[in-house]
Order: sequence, then C-alpha cells, then structure tokens
Amino acid sequence: MADAKKLAEQLKRLNELRGPVPQELRDRVAAQNKAQKAILDALKEGPKTAPELAAAAGLPHDLAIWYVAGLRKYGKISDVPGRGDWPKYELKAGEAK
Amino acid sequence: MSDIEKIEVDTLVVGSGIAGLQSALDLADQGYSVAIVEKAPSIGGKMISLSKVFPTLDCASCITTPRMASVSHHPRITTLTYSTVDAIKREGKSFTASVTRKPRYIDEKECISCKRCEEVCPVYLPDEYEQGMGAKKTISIPFTNAIPQYPVMHPEHCIRCGACARACPKDCIEFLQEPAPVEIKAKSVILATGYETTPMTAKKQYGLGKLPNVISPMAAERLLAPHGPYGRVLRPSDGMVPGSIAYVQCAGSRDKSIGVPYCSRVCCMYAIKQAILLSGSLPIADITIYYMDIRAFGKGYEQFYNNARAMGINFVKAKVARITEDEKHNPILRIERQEGDSAPAEVQHELVVLSQGLVPGHDAAAFGLGAENNDYGFVKLSDEMVSSAVTAGAGVFAAGVVKGPRDIPDSVVDAGSAAMEAASYMRKL
Repeated sequence: MADAKKLAEQLKRLNELRGPVPQELRDRVAAQNKAQKAILDALKEGPKTAPELAAAAGLPHDLAIWYVAGLRKYGKISDVPGRGDWPKYELKAGEAK
Repeated sequence: MSDIEKIEVDTLVVGSGIAGLQSALDLADQGYSVAIVEKAPSIGGKMISLSKVFPTLDCASCITTPRMASVSHHPRITTLTYSTVDAIKREGKSFTASVTRKPRYIDEKECISCKRCEEVCPVYLPDEYEQGMGAKKTISIPFTNAIPQYPVMHPEHCIRCGACARACPKDCIEFLQEPAPVEIKAKSVILATGYETTPMTAKKQYGLGKLPNVISPMAAERLLAPHGPYGRVLRPSDGMVPGSIAYVQCAGSRDKSIGVPYCSRVCCMYAIKQAILLSGSLPIADITIYYMDIRAFGKGYEQFYNNARAMGINFVKAKVARITEDEKHNPILRIERQEGDSAPAEVQHELVVLSQGLVPGHDAAAFGLGAENNDYGFVKLSDEMVSSAVTAGAGVFAAGVVKGPRDIPDSVVDAGSAAMEAASYMRKL
C-alpha cells in the first residue's frame, strides 16, 4: 500500500504541474456515479432489460447499454439466461449495496 | 536526465501484429537478436481482437496468443510496448532508432498485474479495444489476453483521487512518470506497421459514423468474440438482439471519391465469415450481403462462399447509395440492384456493418531509409517479381499489410520471407 504522505505529495505535485482537475471531468464522473447507482437501484427490484434500465435511470438507450457493458465487465451485474429480443440483467449476489 | 536506455540487436521490427511477431520469431529462432517496438500497450496488433479467421473458422486468439507468448518469452527478443519509433537514422551499415517509451504511470518492474488499481478506479471510459462499445477505467489493463499484463493510466481522465495508489499492494503507481527515451541500434529493419481501416466518417452517404447501428467490421468482430463487450451479439443503440443484419461491401474500397480506388482483398471474406458466425449466434436472423462482386481468391475461399450461400445468407448484387435511419435507429438502405429489376429500393435492417477497406497504418517512407511508398501510401517493393520483402532501402524489409492489403495467411507467409531476406542481408554484412 502506498505511503499516505508520499501519495499526498505526489498528488500535490501533480496539481502544480497540470493544474486542477477540470470541472468537466469532475461533472462527468459525478454523472457516471449517479447513472450507475440508478441502474443498480433499478435492478434491486428484479431483472430488467437495457431499455427498462434506460427508462428507470433516465438515460438515453445507447448510454444505458454502455453502462450495462461496464457494470457487467466489472462484476456488478450479470446476464439472466433466456431468449427474446431484449436480454435481461440482474444484480450479482453481494452487489446490492 | 538519467542515461538513455540503449539496446543493440541484429534486427529492429516496427509493429507487433501477426506479421511483426512472425518475422521476429523466425529471425530469433535462427539465432538473431530482435527488438520489437509496438505503439499499443499490448503486442498482437489487429489480429488479437478478431473473433475467428477465414476460411477455417479457427479462433483468432488461439493462433495469435501462442505467438505473442513465444515473442515475449524469447531469450533473443526484446519487446517494447506502448513505445513509438520517432526516427531511424542510417549510419554506415547500421541503423539507430530513437524510441520513446510512453509512461504507463506504473512501475513495470514491480507490477504483479493484480488489477486492483483498475477495480477501484472510479472513472469509466469508452474502451477502444471494444470499439467504444464496452467500458474501461482510467487505469486499466488493455484487454484480457494482453501481453504484457500491465495497466495503463490515462492522466487526462484522472481525477487524482489516489484510490489506485492506495489499493496497489506493490506501491507501484507513479503519477509523475515521464516518457523515457530509448536508443536501438540494429543491422536491419523490418517494417510491419500494418493498416488502419477506412474511417467510419469517410462517406457522407453512409452517415459519417453518426448512425449508432451502422458499425465497423472491427466492432462486429468484438460483438462476435466470446469475451466481447456484451458477451453476445446486441446492437449498440439499445442492446437489442438484431433480427436483420446487412453488410455493405466496398464501403471503403474501390471508391475513387474517398481516395481508395484499390480492392482491400479481405472484405468479401471477412463479411462472409462474420455472416456465417452471426447465423450461428443468431439462428433466426436474416443476414444480407450487398456486394459489387465477390472476390474469393484463396485456397478454400470459393467453397467458404458457397457454404455461406447454402446456409441461407442472402447475397444481393447491389450498390448501396445511401444509409439513413428511422426513429428507432433502424438503418434504412437505399439500394440499386444490379441483377433483375434494377429499380432503386429502400430496405430496412436492424444492424448494418460497413465493410471498410484497409489503408496504411503508418507512413513508412517518412523514416527516410530509402523505402518508398506507392501511390496509396503502402511501401513499394524494389522488385515484386524477385522478392516479396525487399524495399529500395538497403537493409530495410517489409512484412504484412504495410506493403498493401492482404489476408492473414499471406501476411504470415511473407513475414517469413521478410525474416529470410533480413537474415540473408545480415550474413553478407
């Protein structure tokens, strides 16, 4: 694990070299966190398709499937086996925080 | 600044796609020392991201990963990934290359590839390995079977929260890392810089890349790969299983209006391959290939094409004039049939793949080593009748698509030829 003091010094030096973290990036990360939380919250009610998640989280459809791909990759959600035009996704056990 | 890292080898190979890997292995197995420089964070080139290869339908990574592993473990091969060749100078009978190792912002000697930095990083980015369809983090290992398995940090997307550094068990995050220069001395150079596909934005008539369900063939490869972004074939606009898929052939080749008048040689076959794979993944989907003419010229290719026809894939001889979309993002193709009734028609599909052509990946003549480009920017051979690898620059050889579009079997064969020519040249020095 990193030494907290050394890490703080590195991050401070980084701020001096590159300037502060751009507001646009902070806003983007905040929006990402909000969208992911909304998707995970919606899945607490049970399995849902990408358009259902888009509606529940107030996201455009293409962004909803992008978040689904990301949450799936990082082990937060998984596919529900089954047929149909719209696959369903569910929370992975232990991820319903 | 500390001393410049210096490497001295027999041959410098620029590019680590299948052609670069094969020529490096052939030379190293003969006893020559080789340095490979790759601009991407992993070796493997385009081939490692493909799902399967034609006409055998072998898994592409099953062919590429053993070569990647052999190269990375070979005692006579030095691999520099995430590095750029800035210049190559000829000095008498040798070459000196100035290379820059780009910072990954980690200590590569300490990293154990545990991925904890990636797990805790809070910033998601579009994953270019998945052609933007999947997500990665600001610090992430490029892909599952990447070699080396080191994460790369993108500082422009870093919020400097320090989570990665706190999670790293080896304390190897280095926020202040700088690019590092490397000097490579070699007796010969093999150019294997490969290709890029014509951009999605090349044609106004095909939506300039703005239609979400009109995708590139590389994106289709990722959809078909078992470890692709969705784990199955879905369309990127809304995650629906597409019931009707179309291929638009010659969407980036044989087209003077975009400056690519030549045939890219692989699009017919990769489209047929993808169509066969799609009909396996989506048994009830309609798959249509709109083509000018099918060029199935290699061993077993014609049979592969006939098999696709027999499997029920629709081949329609038609030129696609324009692609638009309806309110549900279903692409609508305006076509003119070239057989039977040639009246224009509009056809709706749910997913469309543009069969893009191949353009040079790098301007190899810019190195100024005597190797010249042809009219289209590919490296010109000094005499095609005599050798498939010798360029006009003494000691400079070419392998793979850097010389012009060709398929994987041809790239592998002539990578061997480039290695053989380089060895023969070095023996005479």
